[in-house]
Amino acid sequence: MIQKTHNFLLLFLFFPLIVFSQKENDLNYFEVAIQKKASSLKNEINFDKAQSFFIKEEWDSTLVYSMKQLNSSPNLETKDYCHYFRGYSLKKKDLYEQASVEFNSVNKSFQYYYLVDYNIGKLFYFEENFKKAIIYFLRAETEILNHRDESEIADIYTCIGICYLHLNQFTKAESYLRKDALLNPKQVTKSVIRANINIANFYYKQYKDQQAIYYFQKAYILSKDIKDFKLKENTAFNMAVVEENRSNYKKALVYRKESEDWKDSIYNQNKIWAVADYEKKFAVAQKQKQIKVLEVENKLKDTQRNSLFFASIGLLLILTGGVYLYGQKVKNAKTILLQKNKLDELNATKDQLFSIVSHDLRSSVNALKTSNAKLSATLETKNYDELHQLIIQNSTIANGAYSLLDNLLHWAMLQTKQLYFHKESIHLYSIVQQIEYNYKPLLLDKAITFENLVSKNIFIFVDLDSSKIVLRNLLDNAIKFSNKDGKISFYTQENNPDFCDLIIEDNGIGMSENTIKELLQEGELLAKKSNSEIIGTGLGLQLCKQMIKKNSGTLVIESEINKGTKMILSFPKTKTNG
Amino acid sequence: MDNINVLIIEDTPEQSDALVKVLVENNYNITGVAANFTDALKLFYENTVDIIIIDVFLDGKPDGITFAESINIIPNASKPFVFLTSSQDRQIFERAKLTKPFSFLMKPFNELEILYAIEMAVEKFYAQTNVFMSEEQDTVISNDYLFIKKKNSLKKVAINDILYIEVEERYCNIITEKEKFVIQISLTKISTLLDKNKFVKTHRNTIVNTDKIEEIILADNLIILKGEHKINLSDTYKDFLKKMNILS
Repeated sequence: MIQKTHNFLLLFLFFPLIVFSQKENDLNYFEVAIQKKASSLKNEINFDKAQSFFIKEEWDSTLVYSMKQLNSSPNLETKDYCHYFRGYSLKKKDLYEQASVEFNSVNKSFQYYYLVDYNIGKLFYFEENFKKAIIYFLRAETEILNHRDESEIADIYTCIGICYLHLNQFTKAESYLRKDALLNPKQVTKSVIRANINIANFYYKQYKDQQAIYYFQKAYILSKDIKDFKLKENTAFNMAVVEENRSNYKKALVYRKESEDWKDSIYNQNKIWAVADYEKKFAVAQKQKQIKVLEVENKLKDTQRNSLFFASIGLLLILTGGVYLYGQKVKNAKTILLQKNKLDELNATKDQLFSIVSHDLRSSVNALKTSNAKLSATLETKNYDELHQLIIQNSTIANGAYSLLDNLLHWAMLQTKQLYFHKESIHLYSIVQQIEYNYKPLLLDKAITFENLVSKNIFIFVDLDSSKIVLRNLLDNAIKFSNKDGKISFYTQENNPDFCDLIIEDNGIGMSENTIKELLQEGELLAKKSNSEIIGTGLGLQLCKQMIKKNSGTLVIESEINKGTKMILSFPKTKTNG
Repeated sequence: MDNINVLIIEDTPEQSDALVKVLVENNYNITGVAANFTDALKLFYENTVDIIIIDVFLDGKPDGITFAESINIIPNASKPFVFLTSSQDRQIFERAKLTKPFSFLMKPFNELEILYAIEMAVEKFYAQTNVFMSEEQDTVISNDYLFIKKKNSLKKVAINDILYIEVEERYCNIITEKEKFVIQISLTKISTLLDKNKFVKTHRNTIVNTDKIEEIILADNLIILKGEHKINLSDTYKDFLKKMNILS
């Protein structure tokens, strides 16, 4: 019964020992060595990575990079390291066969070949081939002892001890297990306690109760200083079994209770773990919730930001639109102002024209009125000579008024662009004759000599009516500004093959340079009326200028005061076909 | 030489009277004065008319244009016409312009202006511009008449009346059965304008109206025309004889 319990305990303790054996130390001398090696081989990136993953115990990555290193580098030394890494990693991944292949590929000259031996031993150990295992362990033992890594030494002692134990070579097993237990560790570690338990078990198995109890007790006492409940429970339970076997039931009960307590503690710890787990889960859930809330908030913020963004874009658009519209409005206002000014100007001109025209008309009609009164008075006296004189005077006045009105009509039509305009071939001589025909009485009245010296072969290409208006006005002016017994002549000059110059010359009062300038000034404003008696509205000449321009002609004025005026018109000739 | 027959379409009696007076003074023959569209059409079809003077507005309606339009669509009926108008209204002109060839005269006008307008209308109608006013030519030739400028007036001569034409430099002697006169036109121009089948060159400077030939004496190189006119026939121009139907 007791034996069974012992066996159970033994089995129970073996494996944790192995598994935990290397996890407890931090960087041991080997790891330091490979780090140094890696830093000395800067170029070998794969090796560096392989070793770093090896230290981090990431076995898969170690395998990958060590394989890369093996494939890429012919360096024998790194090859040995890599095979070792691979073997170790494969061993950790429980692929023992491949691991043993890798370990066997390591060259015997490898600096840490004892580690290879040691690991191969472990592989056999795992396969419970203790005989072979012990051969490898013993090979590795001396070198391991040389390196003075206590945990490693303890480990190999344990391994050898357990192997001997399994091989029932108790003396050797004892010596190793004792060595292991006696390795006086500076700190109380689990492995020390386990070593003590092992050796105690060892003695117990051989019914050397005295020694066994000593080690059980030692393990029990040591276990009080550590926090591993499982170990505490085990040691206490062992003590309980021991005391029970010694029929010391009281103590046994105490130990049993302690053991139970530790078990409970484990349970409690588990419970605490569970609670902690639950709490953790809860916390995670809470966090999840918070994350969700944050996500929602983020979304909200996003939408807010988006809406803000769009709103600002909209505002910007409205603003630019507004600015643009405002600009347009200002522009429009400017245009309108300009137009208004122009219209005002035109209107002023029109008003001026209106007043001048009505003034002229009024005086004409008034003259006619008084003349008519005189006429009827003369009719009573039957003075026919005077009557004739008066009638001539009347007709002159009527003619003047008529030509003024005619000009006014044409001017208005020109302004409203209603004038019909049709260019055709015109016989200049005939036209001059026709114009002169209407002024015959006036010329006679002023005793002015009229000469039409226009070449009879000249045909000009103009609009008939507008050119008639021009000639009529110019003749009218010439007569108006001529003195009695003056002379007016129309003649042509051909200086240009395409144009014909028509010159209207009088020997009248002439005009100053300034007046000429004023008359020829561009623009639709009428020349100012400086001398109401002689100078008319200026409408006539204005009309002439525009009509000449429309007929693609030009007008030049040459004049000298008291010597006469030359109006030089230039019109395009009719193009003859050959 | 005959006077030109003028049809006047004018609804204002004073104006038509003045017009008649001016035209009669200048040796034009007045066919009639119509005051409305119907009368105008009647007068136009019943009489021989050479030129029409049309007032655009009859009773305030632009019937004058309507008249021009209606005679224009009848082939060969149309005659040269002059529009009279007191308005330079563009719309009216745009419509009147469609009755080609279009000549017009603004009211009021003087004697010279209406005579000029009539001459222009004839020139434009027969598409022989710058004739009457030039110093080189004074005759417009239509299919039936020669329109000849004599002083301020126009005269006409029926082409069928012409016996033959003698060319002397820039002048042509026109010989009809009744009279003989001189016109100013170049030989090339007159030969292109006259009907070539009817008027034939028989000599370097003679064009003969073949309708008026009475006898051809080849032995003497002589052509006898109506009214006993004897014309020389030069060898170079004998070819025309082949085209004639000679009685055997």
